[in-house]
Amino acid sequence: MATDLAPPATKAARKAEKGRRPGRVPVRTALLRYRWLYLMLIPGLLYFVLFKYLPMYGLSIAFQDFVPFLGYSDSPWVGLKHFENLFTGPDFGRLLFNTLFLALLTALFVFPAPIIVALLLNELRVSVFKRYVQSLIYIPHFLSWTIVFSLTYLLFSVDFGVVASWIHSLSGGGPKVDYMAQPEWFRPLVILQLLWKTSGWGTIIYLAALAGVDPNLYEAARMDGAGRWRQFWHVTLPAIRPTIVVMAILTSGNLLDQSFEQIWLLTNSLNRSVADVFDTFVYYVGVTQGGYSYATAVGLFKGVAGVVLIFGSNWLAKRLGQRGLF
Amino acid sequence: MSAARRRLLAGLLTLTTAAAVSACSGGGDEAEGDSSTLSMMVPLFGTAPDPKGEIQTAVEKLIGKKLNITWVPNAEYNEKTNVTLASDALPDVMVIQDNKGPSFVKAAEAGAFWDLTDKLDKYPNLKPKSEQTWINSKTNAKNYGIYRVRPLLRSAIVIRKDWLEKLDLEMPKTTDDLYKIAKAFTEKDPDGNGKKDTYGMILPKWPGTTFSASSPYNVMDVWFGAPNNYGMRDGKLVPEFDVPEFWEAQKYIKKFIDEGLVNPDWATLDTAKWNDPFIQGKGGIIIDVNVRAGQLFDGFKELDAETYDEKVAMAGNLSRPDGKKFSYPFTGFNGIIAVSKQHVRTEAQLDEVLKVLDKLASKEGSILVSNGIEGRNFKVEDGFAVKINDQDPQMKVINNDVEKAFIQLGMTSSVGVPGGAYEWMRPSQAEKDWLKQRDELMNLDLQTAVHDPSLPVISQTAVEKGATLNPIVTDARIKYLAGELTEEQFKAEIKRWYDSGGTQILTELQEGISKVGG
Repeated sequence: MATDLAPPATKAARKAEKGRRPGRVPVRTALLRYRWLYLMLIPGLLYFVLFKYLPMYGLSIAFQDFVPFLGYSDSPWVGLKHFENLFTGPDFGRLLFNTLFLALLTALFVFPAPIIVALLLNELRVSVFKRYVQSLIYIPHFLSWTIVFSLTYLLFSVDFGVVASWIHSLSGGGPKVDYMAQPEWFRPLVILQLLWKTSGWGTIIYLAALAGVDPNLYEAARMDGAGRWRQFWHVTLPAIRPTIVVMAILTSGNLLDQSFEQIWLLTNSLNRSVADVFDTFVYYVGVTQGGYSYATAVGLFKGVAGVVLIFGSNWLAKRLGQRGLF
Repeated sequence: MSAARRRLLAGLLTLTTAAAVSACSGGGDEAEGDSSTLSMMVPLFGTAPDPKGEIQTAVEKLIGKKLNITWVPNAEYNEKTNVTLASDALPDVMVIQDNKGPSFVKAAEAGAFWDLTDKLDKYPNLKPKSEQTWINSKTNAKNYGIYRVRPLLRSAIVIRKDWLEKLDLEMPKTTDDLYKIAKAFTEKDPDGNGKKDTYGMILPKWPGTTFSASSPYNVMDVWFGAPNNYGMRDGKLVPEFDVPEFWEAQKYIKKFIDEGLVNPDWATLDTAKWNDPFIQGKGGIIIDVNVRAGQLFDGFKELDAETYDEKVAMAGNLSRPDGKKFSYPFTGFNGIIAVSKQHVRTEAQLDEVLKVLDKLASKEGSILVSNGIEGRNFKVEDGFAVKINDQDPQMKVINNDVEKAFIQLGMTSSVGVPGGAYEWMRPSQAEKDWLKQRDELMNLDLQTAVHDPSLPVISQTAVEKGATLNPIVTDARIKYLAGELTEEQFKAEIKRWYDSGGTQILTELQEGISKVGG
């Protein structure tokens, strides 16, 4: 981006560049030439240093037996003890599996949902109806997970759940299914909640991309005799493909972040074996048990795994012939 | 709140606390010469009192010192305590709600608070009145503060009184009685609508994963003779879930669930909604603390002010089938009031602070912090406190300052334990009877109370591995009751608990208990 804003190089500068490798400018010259741009960069840099990098100092407690009263400097260092405990402990396998499995389900079902909804909305011709639907499906985004959970409980509770008793009567009696308590229903419920809450809001960015498609392309396609389906396949989809790829890479970094409140509220004694994920475990160990160091170690591991996912999907995107993020 | 926002908030809290506390401690340092100001950190349940308000002025007059109180909303009190403990700028006097929590234990053992184990005998009002509570409130065999008293026994059964009368049943005395009542409530149409749409007992999903957590399950375990959390058997410490009596209790509870005598969503019902099925007329039995009866009175009152006093009855702990009775006690306290060493450095200074606390714990002080100012916002009738003019804005301020704030400084009196103060008058005869019955039942059941010997001790392994260990047996019990585990599989889970660190916890606790001499 910065190069677009660069002032046209002066003759003298161009002369000086002759004989060098093309595109290379000495650092000092560059600094001087683009000084205003660099100056504008400073607040942003400061923000990242102050609020993103400096706090990482706190990660050091993952390698300590941290006691708040003793502070960072006096708490004893214990090396990789907490990581060893984590990797050899009985919880690790289950946590990793649950987290990854939910991440996979999210990628398969939740990620494509807003794209599909946006495409459907895009095909609507009555704009009043379209805007109406759009506003309606944004609403769930603004509800807290606690409310979403309460709604789920009202619908699926074995005692008075509307949907639960509806399914029960449709399926012709038999024992009632306790959707809220059975492990096999935990993941479907999580995915359903996510779909309901996030798909509408997620359409915004795709609708923006769709709005940017040149209408001439459609016209040209129509002239060539393309029907609705052909227009969609050859014009619409290629136009928003870069957006989809960028969103996919960005999402991959957050795949391991299950929404804490969502999982925590749905967890109970009967479904804990499938419900425990890294995020709830960190809360449980760190906040309720005061195991700051262990919790930080778990969180750090999750962070590293997230970085691997981002780089992995970026690499994959490039391999598949798309433009990556970096 | 997302994790990121929570973290940001924690960071902000640290900053503001550091600023606020350093400001306070600045004042404290100056005041050290004349030591006329005392800084405190206290939980708050409403809006913070005005430091120049009538109650604070009266308290300051009583103790002869200025108060500088940091009021912290109760919901975030523990988080704020952790942050304050980490900030090395402690107020002189702090209410510590979780005095067994790792962060307080570590701070206290690092020397941040005065050890008051042998120091309270000189102070007539601070001297522990209950030996049991004094032991229960120990932190690793030491008392780092003065306990804030609560009833030592609060367990009770609340039953729909009108249903009992309709089906012509007696109040339960044994576990078998309770089963019969639950069965009748489920099958004999107690609400008389001709439909079989009621159940006997209401069980909620218990929050957290700690096994011993005052849940209805724990209460029923103890009724059958199992230890309360841990107990001594033949000179060895055993957990609640590894004695034959425990299995008797499980069979009893499982019978309720298998026969449909409990709410179908017993594994998932939120504790905050525990009263709803009772008031809506779906279920008729709750095993919980006795004050729940008061909540239910209030709930029915909103529904129908005419008949609300005919709907709630309360019974105490039950004896098991062979007639022996074991009752489930509570710890008898809710947190402690600790004195930090940061500004109170010498024994003489400590003496001065303890004298102040002694005055607060006296009869005069208790009335002031739990009732208010006699003749101003309340009067005394038949030994009960009655509010005067409670719609008057000034009185509202006083009542708020007392009930939502200063009562938290009560050490010898609180809700449910009047101590030197007065209990508030309840309007209906049924409620007055209930209050009387509550105290009678408490004294009766205390004679058969099974106390938890491990309370004064902390196991390092339990702290470190709790996240892994706690859910094992807690979840296994629920799964067994739901029919997802057989008894053999449940026992295998118990063995897994032993093998993953349970054995070590028992050893550490037993060592600690022998040191306390409890």
